[in-house]
Amino acid sequence: MQDDAFWYEAAQVVGITNALNVVADTLGEAGAGFTAVDPATAAGETRALFEEIATFYESAQVPLPFRLLARDPGYAADVWAAARHTFADHRLSRRLKEALAFAVSVTSRSRFGTGFHLAEMRRLGVGERGVMEVLGVTQMFSSYTKIADTLQLEPDMGDIAPVDHSPAPGGAAAPAGRRARGDGQVKGTSRAKISKGDRRVASRTSRMAVSPSPAPVSRRAAKKPV
Amino acid sequence: MPTVRLRDASEYPEAAQKLFDLSKAWFNYDFAQPPAMSRVMAWDGGFGGPHGRAMKRAMAPGEFTRAEKEMVAAVVSGVNACNY
Repeated sequence: MQDDAFWYEAAQVVGITNALNVVADTLGEAGAGFTAVDPATAAGETRALFEEIATFYESAQVPLPFRLLARDPGYAADVWAAARHTFADHRLSRRLKEALAFAVSVTSRSRFGTGFHLAEMRRLGVGERGVMEVLGVTQMFSSYTKIADTLQLEPDMGDIAPVDHSPAPGGAAAPAGRRARGDGQVKGTSRAKISKGDRRVASRTSRMAVSPSPAPVSRRAAKKPV
Repeated sequence: MPTVRLRDASEYPEAAQKLFDLSKAWFNYDFAQPPAMSRVMAWDGGFGGPHGRAMKRAMAPGEFTRAEKEMVAAVVSGVNACNY
């Protein structure tokens, strides 16, 4: 996963997942006096939109966020177009994208998103073991990130990621000089794409050591005078 | 700036050096100093040991590949707004 294209797709998943979750979690089915559109009563463009959404998810149900947004059909259609594009198979599989969305939802404590994307993962063939794998990674890195934040650790592995020099889709390759400046932008970002054989590393926080069973550590050094 | 002084690898006992070697192997990268998080986790083997084993178990290839799991880890780190 060295190509930036993978990471742009992952970022889209994070963004649209969060966008849908916040609406569903805060408004609910009929919360705050804002009622979701009932597919049974939907007509015209809203009905067509709902049918397209249901087809995409191979379900008779239309996910709550879209029913809430459908009070403005034009807006709902645009959000749906972005969501559909995001979750379709491209460089990343739809199955992995649902796993990412599940991780996002668990991490952001979204009740709607957690249940919805868990169901989607299962529908797309992810088994009990796969769900536990995603849950385990989510939990471990929820731990590492908080340890890093508590100790205010500074990024120290940004330079080990290779740089993708390919242009934006449909664009022209950048001159060599500009590519060198681009390298500087990549260094220090929160994602790295290491690929040495099977070694692929995604985030600074993910670049943790394996800690099989270290022996007792050295005596704590004396504090510096203040 | 970190709230603790991160020790050089040379300040850790022999057993921790093995951990740092594993860190190199895990990332397939020859660090001048082990990553800060590796040194943090090596501070207390009673915590770092099982935590690291859980992480290794979670990241092992299964229904999802190691690369896919690294992407999940990146997403979780992003949502947690972790600068590290």
